[in-house]
Amino acid sequence: MITSGIRQIRRYFPYLVTVLLAIYVLFVAPAVAGLFIDDFLAFIISVAAVPVIQIILFMFFFYLVLFPISDTLREVKTGQIEIFLASPVKSSDVLLGEFLGRMPFYATAIVLITGTLTALLDPLGLDMVQSIVMIIVFVITFLSALWIGTVISAVLRTKLGKTVRGKDVGRALSVIIALPMIAIMYALIGGGLIKALIDPATSGNVRAILNFLPSSWGAEIFVAFASNPGNIGAVALETITRLGGLVVFFLAALWLGSKAANRAYSLESTTFTASKAKPDGLFYKAVRRLGGSGSFGTLLTTSFKDYGRRLENLSWLFYSVAIVAMITIFLSDPLSSPKDVLEDLSMMAIPFLTGFAVGTVSRGKDTLFVYKKSPNGLSRFVKARLMQNLLVTVPIAAAIMCTMTILAPQITASSLLANAVAGSLRAAVMVVLFLGLALLIPVFAEESRERAFGVVINLMIVLFATIGLEIGLARSGLSLGRIFPELDSYAAALLNHLEMTALILLAGVVLLYLGKRKLSRTE
Amino acid sequence: MKVVIQTKKLSKCYGKGGEIKAVDELDLEVYEGETFGLLGPNGAGKTTTVRLLNCIIKPTSGTALVNGNDILKDETEVKRFTGLLAESPGLYEKLSAYEFLEFIGALYDVPSDVLKERIDDLLKLFSLDDRRNDLLEGYSRGMKQKVLIAAALVHDPPILFLDEPTSALDPRTALMVKDLIKKLADTAGKTIFICSHILPIVEELCDRIGIISQGKLIALGTVDEILAKTKTKSLEQAFIALTGGVEEKELLAWREHRAASA
Repeated sequence: MITSGIRQIRRYFPYLVTVLLAIYVLFVAPAVAGLFIDDFLAFIISVAAVPVIQIILFMFFFYLVLFPISDTLREVKTGQIEIFLASPVKSSDVLLGEFLGRMPFYATAIVLITGTLTALLDPLGLDMVQSIVMIIVFVITFLSALWIGTVISAVLRTKLGKTVRGKDVGRALSVIIALPMIAIMYALIGGGLIKALIDPATSGNVRAILNFLPSSWGAEIFVAFASNPGNIGAVALETITRLGGLVVFFLAALWLGSKAANRAYSLESTTFTASKAKPDGLFYKAVRRLGGSGSFGTLLTTSFKDYGRRLENLSWLFYSVAIVAMITIFLSDPLSSPKDVLEDLSMMAIPFLTGFAVGTVSRGKDTLFVYKKSPNGLSRFVKARLMQNLLVTVPIAAAIMCTMTILAPQITASSLLANAVAGSLRAAVMVVLFLGLALLIPVFAEESRERAFGVVINLMIVLFATIGLEIGLARSGLSLGRIFPELDSYAAALLNHLEMTALILLAGVVLLYLGKRKLSRTE
Repeated sequence: MKVVIQTKKLSKCYGKGGEIKAVDELDLEVYEGETFGLLGPNGAGKTTTVRLLNCIIKPTSGTALVNGNDILKDETEVKRFTGLLAESPGLYEKLSAYEFLEFIGALYDVPSDVLKERIDDLLKLFSLDDRRNDLLEGYSRGMKQKVLIAAALVHDPPILFLDEPTSALDPRTALMVKDLIKKLADTAGKTIFICSHILPIVEELCDRIGIISQGKLIALGTVDEILAKTKTKSLEQAFIALTGGVEEKELLAWREHRAASA
């Protein structure tokens, strides 16, 4: 019913979006910029201005290049290429059509970013010519980025879409492709990157690379205008060369992209080699033994093989570990004690890791029906998924916990052991909780996008619920650490941790039961 | 003759208030060792019937006995006695043919020593032995269908459900599957329940045929009995007469209209 309601007003959407964007650019962005204009004025005349604006514009540039690539890699589909190739249309026109077809979304993004950046400059007293030049600079920079992204994604789609392995690689890449940008963002928020860029001793190579990028040419005009508001004559030569450079870059990108179009739309097969399964090595033999060597051992090994051979799964694991590492390196205060490590990692890192590892329940109902058809199949399915996820996540959680504890001062052998055990236990019960949730809110889609959405929803539910529960326990005085005030702070933290772990296990078992019941009724 | 499949007013409804009757009070008997064909147009309820008889979904009302076991009460036993080639089967594409068959065998608790030997035999039978270690993602549709038929046989069930067994196969493989079904029925004494749109295959393979339309069984008997009842000369004509299909003349009527208006 909600969908049909939206459909009725869908034809008004373009007007609605246009009005909303206009409101944002004319009123919201200037109002927000006005809130911290004094800080911005102080910043723009500082030595940090040029590198920071360079980095920010580079991030936008990089993000807009990645946006079409990531979107394409998630589901590499080549079916439409055959239709294009069969029609009497040039490949370069198809590529341009693909780019222009997405233009409403791209234009929205460009208006939002350009509106925000222009709003920052407006209170400085830029004249009309400077404002128009700035808008042209932003639009050309971002259009160049989106065009480059469209060309690269079209070429990658053709290259990767020819084989199942290629599609698998595409899905895996779509997960981790944004990691460098996230690292830069965290480094920027954490402040370390700005310091490093201001310091001539550490910024040499990075500044040189940044100056080479077209996004930096716009940043230099931005800072030049901000330093000389209403006086374009003072920076005329710099403006003409930088803007000219941008225009040449954009035209060159368009020309090169149209030349690459023939490669982007091709169904010529390059390989006929089939992926082969190797004989079970030590790892799978150990897993089989762990599962009891009988039927369940085989099921567990199979479940592991299906998981491990999908690069996307490994990519999600890598992504979650990388995010945890980046948060710790760039954003966290130095972890001063084993207690901090235990509390910080249990709050965010372990849910992150287990949430992404457990993922969604099944790839399609049809594979689930294979289990449903067999005697006690569903119970064994749940048991195998549980065991498999425990074997994947608990060692990683223990390793992260140990590494971070070792890095903290005041470490003792007992605190290292206690943290490792407590972290492993938390990871184990989180697996139960996430699996229960995945069964209860099943996502059967094959598409990466829908499955990723399901995982993020589950992650948000668990994060908010566990943080809420922890706060609730502390405020109500029911946390065990408060009941026993004679304990030292680390022992109290451990006790609280175990109490939370027990409660999460309880919730997990209930969800697992309800989820399994729901799955048995799935038709 | 022993009845191995017996449905008793078996019904499955979907939608609010159960207004969509996928299977409507189906009464059907299938005898031991016979090859039974269930025919029907798209959406007639064939696949739903097969899923009900394999305990994958539960009936809205009525029940069925499979090898003497009630599908509502003895789910596990029913599943042990049946093998299923589903219409849209779930395939673990990251497994090799050998690994997939080993996985299915494990699901049905086939002892490992028996399982290895049986998988070897099945892979040889379906000419897949030389590609046993290739991941299934690299197989053609026909090869995947062969693996799935092998998977339905891996625990050696006495009753076999084949939902569109030859729809994705090339003529040579289809012929091989057809011969295999005959062999399974004639020499191995298996009861085979086939759902198919391909009428000549059903006509050739099946001892008896049931025709289902809008969830209801509208005809049951041997091919000759159905032809006599409908006073038609071929199973195709009988099928159209019973299910209310569109004749060729009607299908091409639009051309005549266009010619007239031109």
